[in-house]
Amino acid sequence: MPQQSSLTIVADVRPGETESLGEILATMGDGVANGSVVDLSSLSEMHFARFFLLEETTDLSGRPLPAALLYMSDFDVPKDRHLTELAGSPGIDRLFGHCEGYPAAGPTADQRLAYLRAHTVKEQARYVNTIGRGSRQIRREAELRDAIEGFLDRQLNEWAGRDPREIREAVRRFVAEEPSLAWARTPEDRPSLWWRLREGAHLVALPLLLLLLSPLLLLGAPFYAFLLRRHEKADPAPHLKPDEATVTGLARLEDHVVQNPFTAIGLVKPGLFRKLTIRGILYAIAYATRHVFNNGNLAGVKTIHFARWVILNEGRRVIFASNYDGSLESYMDDFIDKIAWGLNVVFSNGFGYPRTRWLVLDGARDELAFKDYLRRHQVPTRVWYSAYQRLTASNVANNERIRRGLYGDMGGEEARRWLQAL
Amino acid sequence: MAAGPVATTLDLPDVQGLVARGYGNLNAARFVLLGLEDAAAARRWLGEIAGTVTAGDERPESQALNLAFTSSGLKRLGLAPEIVQQFSNEFVGGMTTEHRSRILGDLGDDAPDRWDWGGPASAPVDAALLLYARDDSELERLAEAQLRVLAAGGLRIVRELGTSDLDGFEPFGFRDGISQPLLEGLSKVGPPQYTLRTGEFVLGYPNEYGRYTDRPTVEASSDRQSLLPRDPTGSGRADLGLNGTYLVFRQLRQDVRGFWRFLDAATRRADGSSDPAARIRLAAKTVGRWPGGAPLALAPERDDPALAEANDFGYFHEDRDGARCPIGSHIRRANPRDSLDPQPGSDQSLALNRRHRILRRGREYGRSLTPEEAVAEQTGTGEDERGLHFICLNANIARQFEFVQHTWVNSPKFAGLYDDADPLVAPSQPFGATFTVQSESVRQRVTDLPRFVSVKGGAYFFLPGIAALRYLASL
Repeated sequence: MPQQSSLTIVADVRPGETESLGEILATMGDGVANGSVVDLSSLSEMHFARFFLLEETTDLSGRPLPAALLYMSDFDVPKDRHLTELAGSPGIDRLFGHCEGYPAAGPTADQRLAYLRAHTVKEQARYVNTIGRGSRQIRREAELRDAIEGFLDRQLNEWAGRDPREIREAVRRFVAEEPSLAWARTPEDRPSLWWRLREGAHLVALPLLLLLLSPLLLLGAPFYAFLLRRHEKADPAPHLKPDEATVTGLARLEDHVVQNPFTAIGLVKPGLFRKLTIRGILYAIAYATRHVFNNGNLAGVKTIHFARWVILNEGRRVIFASNYDGSLESYMDDFIDKIAWGLNVVFSNGFGYPRTRWLVLDGARDELAFKDYLRRHQVPTRVWYSAYQRLTASNVANNERIRRGLYGDMGGEEARRWLQAL
Repeated sequence: MAAGPVATTLDLPDVQGLVARGYGNLNAARFVLLGLEDAAAARRWLGEIAGTVTAGDERPESQALNLAFTSSGLKRLGLAPEIVQQFSNEFVGGMTTEHRSRILGDLGDDAPDRWDWGGPASAPVDAALLLYARDDSELERLAEAQLRVLAAGGLRIVRELGTSDLDGFEPFGFRDGISQPLLEGLSKVGPPQYTLRTGEFVLGYPNEYGRYTDRPTVEASSDRQSLLPRDPTGSGRADLGLNGTYLVFRQLRQDVRGFWRFLDAATRRADGSSDPAARIRLAAKTVGRWPGGAPLALAPERDDPALAEANDFGYFHEDRDGARCPIGSHIRRANPRDSLDPQPGSDQSLALNRRHRILRRGREYGRSLTPEEAVAEQTGTGEDERGLHFICLNANIARQFEFVQHTWVNSPKFAGLYDDADPLVAPSQPFGATFTVQSESVRQRVTDLPRFVSVKGGAYFFLPGIAALRYLASL
């Protein structure tokens, strides 16, 4: 079973070079990467990737935050192999050549690799739609589904009045006899025992630790609650509308294929309280996405393929980046309607977020204030790559269901239900 | 819970009549699209006709008149740019931005630069005068009187759009307008799960989130004649948006001959002859209702006059897999009722659905054509265009009209589908040309559907309250 990995690279852009770097990024695609400069599709076992630029700005105390170039990717090979492949692309020079400390004049692949590795940062939390479902499996199961649908179409007249179990048998025979589908005759490998033991240990470790610390936590809870409410009442929460030109500029990059990237960055509210809260929350999210929301459903939202949260600038800023199905409008509606609480616990530590109560209440439920906040903090995802642009998360899950239905025995009702997936 | 805004009763005398009713008793209608030339003259004209605009508390028996403006129209009337910016971004940016064309499916032959009106290649549309009358001669009288006043106001007629009364049926031959959201504050009442908060369709009232949708307000001091009501949320500002709403207008040409010929070819018997019953059946599958109106979810086998107006049904418990009413059929995606994730069949699912409704106020145009006539060899010449002047009202264009259009109707991925855009109205490019007809056993797939509806024009308008019309005239 492959393990989905991810990489985040952050490099400060040299002063005055943001514009020329932006111009190169603009040639690399209009919403979807066109393969020029760095061909992301040539990297092994890819899911998604993006390059984007953070403009120069200042933090809440007026200290400068330099412009930065970021690279983010999701893939199934070991991190080192992915980095090595990326470093093999000479186009990297044209991008990171604008960044601080990049080796001058024609670096070797090794020098590139060293630079990229040195600028890799840790993600505080990640969400993977379904842990263990690799890119190759996704693409092959899409082919399997197409082949089976084609087979059903070709023999359409034979199915009327037949028992679902007979139809399923016919499909199984077709797959068994089709040489290009030889791989589908056996199910995907189960995760190794070692992996399951490790995950199991991690699953129980945190609750055990919390249990041990519970006397302390109980003592601290009222104090934390007091501080929280004091911050929540005092934090400014102005409702500012993004201007039409900004939204039009962001939207120009959206809705070219069935998925979209979302990238947003925000300043963490000042003070230690928020800095610690966001770290604690992201730790909890990392735990929850690893053990609970690891199978196609992020607390009711089923349209996200991958997402990540990254703390930058010594805790002063946080980036949220995701790959989701459908339009941003529908994505934001999902947030508000289904996981407003989940958004609130993270984003309410961000400056300017709609006012929350008790960390989870209100906030995103102020529909327009929330949507305007997101649009105002969104960063254009200049270069975005998807390895399966025509598949929604729902399609991917259904394709897997079709394949799983090929194995073992089924009763009549079970076979009938399985046929409904086709 | 936070103290939500208190529901106030809808101010019927101040909303335009089209919000309250579609004027079903006024069979004749004409929509006049206008360009404003001279701001001062246009304001005089507006001041003159503001008093004749039909309000929501009237029940007109012979004539009705409503008036809406595009954002360019508001600017030309002299509304300050910073006030115009307070309207929603969708309204300010208009229907024809590059991104909006993509999500609305206005691409290729349907791109705005090919439109008859509303696109970059045609004369700017600043206002729409909506005229309704009991019959054609009454409409003629109304139009004549209005056009006379228009000419004096320095307004230019960009286009006059005639309509026809197809007796409750749309041009493909199906009963239309059955499912309309009910609105708190109007006389027609129904089950609470189908009744929407006033703020979904009128600005200045709480919406389905219990919030007020953004709308323009002005300094109270700039409203010198105190024409505008005050902001109900207590900001002290004069409320320009209150009792107004957004009006989406799209002229949709329907290829009725193409529709029935495609279905005819797809349902021929083995010997190559037409099968009218199978043709109707497949047509009903694409719509989700029989021509007479009975929904497939309740009447899967044949049309049933007793169910012609049936609207109290869901999909999840009755027809989860689409064996009766296909998942991708037009009505199931334009209004998914209780089938939305994450808990289909629940009250939560219905609540989600309520946030994406539109109030339809469209009128048909062109001569009707039966399926038999559509399939037969075309005889005679002359005007053969027909379709729908699609008009809908909503308080939030992005969350209502555009969401329904993009996420549900045009999306080949709706509800877990793969390559199935709306078989009746959506574009089939760049993909989405498949129509899957689910069944108890193996589904049937109709492939390579062409597009049966094309876009001839469109714009986003604002339908102000009556007091706001007077204020605009006073600028």
